[in-house]
Amino acid sequence: MVPYLLMSPALLAIAALLGLPAVLVLITSFQKLDLGELVTGRTVWVGIDNFKTVLSDPAFWGDTVRTVLFTAGCVVSTMILGLLIALLLTKLGKAIRIFLQVALVLAWAMPILAATTVFQWMFDTHYGILNKTLIQLGFTSFRDHDWFSTGSSTLIIIGILIVWQATPFVAFTVYAGLVSIPGEVYEASALDGANAWQTFRSVSWPGIAPIVALTTFLQLLWDFKVFSQVWAIKQGGPNGGSTTLPVLQYLDGIANNHFGTAAAVSVLMIVIIVVITATYVKMLLRSQEVDI
Amino acid sequence: MRTSRGKRIGFSIVAVVVALIFLFPVYWMASSAFKPNLDIISTNFDLFPSSFTGQHFVDAVTRPNFLTFLANSLIVSLTAVLASLVIGVLMAVALARFKFKGRRGFLMLLLVAQLAPFEAMLIPFYLIMRDLNLLNQLPSLILVYFGATLPFTAWTLRGFVHGIPVDLEESAMVDGCGRWQAFRRVTLPLLGPGLVATSVFGFITAWNEFLYALVFMQDTDKFTLPVWLSTFQTVFSTDWGGTMAASTLFTVPVVVFFLIVQRNLVAGVTAGAVKG
Repeated sequence: MVPYLLMSPALLAIAALLGLPAVLVLITSFQKLDLGELVTGRTVWVGIDNFKTVLSDPAFWGDTVRTVLFTAGCVVSTMILGLLIALLLTKLGKAIRIFLQVALVLAWAMPILAATTVFQWMFDTHYGILNKTLIQLGFTSFRDHDWFSTGSSTLIIIGILIVWQATPFVAFTVYAGLVSIPGEVYEASALDGANAWQTFRSVSWPGIAPIVALTTFLQLLWDFKVFSQVWAIKQGGPNGGSTTLPVLQYLDGIANNHFGTAAAVSVLMIVIIVVITATYVKMLLRSQEVDI
Repeated sequence: MRTSRGKRIGFSIVAVVVALIFLFPVYWMASSAFKPNLDIISTNFDLFPSSFTGQHFVDAVTRPNFLTFLANSLIVSLTAVLASLVIGVLMAVALARFKFKGRRGFLMLLLVAQLAPFEAMLIPFYLIMRDLNLLNQLPSLILVYFGATLPFTAWTLRGFVHGIPVDLEESAMVDGCGRWQAFRRVTLPLLGPGLVATSVFGFITAWNEFLYALVFMQDTDKFTLPVWLSTFQTVFSTDWGGTMAASTLFTVPVVVFFLIVQRNLVAGVTAGAVKG
């Protein structure tokens, strides 16, 4: 009886703050819930109309493709950079390794909104350091160049921002995996005359592959639902050119008061997230990184 | 593995370049925060500052409501973290110290719950808070942040409790302590580092949160620091010095906390699936 009593506050909280919204989002997605219904409190069931509306909207598909490409770009860049930096960390003397680690921690720790404003400032049209540097290097056409004038260049800058802050986590995690591989294995491989690439493939990679797979899925999960950076930089603009699914959900629901269709967008997002999460959890349990 | 001297120097140079790239935005934030306005709004190339001023910090702090935003951020973050710490530790103890039916299932629940996409539940949360008349009130944020940090907190603390040998508690009980007393006198003090690490992580999550704060808080005096920072540009047009000073003030506590617990975070990371 005691363990159930101890768990009951947490379980109640999870039911109320996770279970209830999860059920409610599904219910809302089958309702017409605009400002009128919200004020009068009427419940109007519309079946799958919201999903029909969302799925037949070309803008939704545009946003979905954009979100998928954006997520893929962020995750691939983060993983490659993180992996390379983790390998680099194993090759360094103590002083320089700590210097690099501190730099990584600072990038990682910076609050998202602070990092976002700094990026806006660095990429500023008139006084941004990037344009100033380019002009200094002789590329005078970048005078007053507006980096946020198109959706794709806006998203690339948001991507750089996200990758910059996410790479340290991957680098540290993979580095922790690399240093846990016993030194004797490397010595044996060196005795066998393996070169650096062979050693990486036959010794390091098998040791870190599970961690790399797990962190890839975590990054997928996080990058797919990014809102803060995208919204704070350009509110999904210009002309919706950097609108991703989380931004669409906000615009539909909160800005335009179409809570039913916004909930349908949420449900579609949750479906994708559940698939990623399920794969991740399965991998996690198989990898025995976690004991249950 | 032996690395030749030449290679080693090469790697060191690459490492320093990489470190400088990662440091640059942080450096640029701090150096802009100390730069006089005349230098900021100039088209001269100024990678290294030529003169300093503390004026932007004075401006940022004395800006209307800055202290209110700071207080709001502190109230929601600390309350949420404290609540999930107290309630999380109870569940952690149950899972780490008791054998009971369904234990595995509850562990799975926590594992999955800490990966739950809170961002995708904005609409139902908005409707719930509206029905509860909590929109534009700090408790709405506290509830969401509490819900978002609780599963991670309970999961991670369970790992820490698990790591403390149960024999210690048992010998205390042999010495005449009750079960609660044994826990309070033996396990709880040993749990200190775990509690600190976990709460710092929860604090950072709440301190960073933007979406819910943006949606729930409608009056300016209810804003948290992230929302305030996002309005800086529009409200004060091009006050980049002030924006950077405010960003610096917003960053400092997090960096300090982070440096304290970084080691713990990395160690438990794949096992705990830290929220991003």
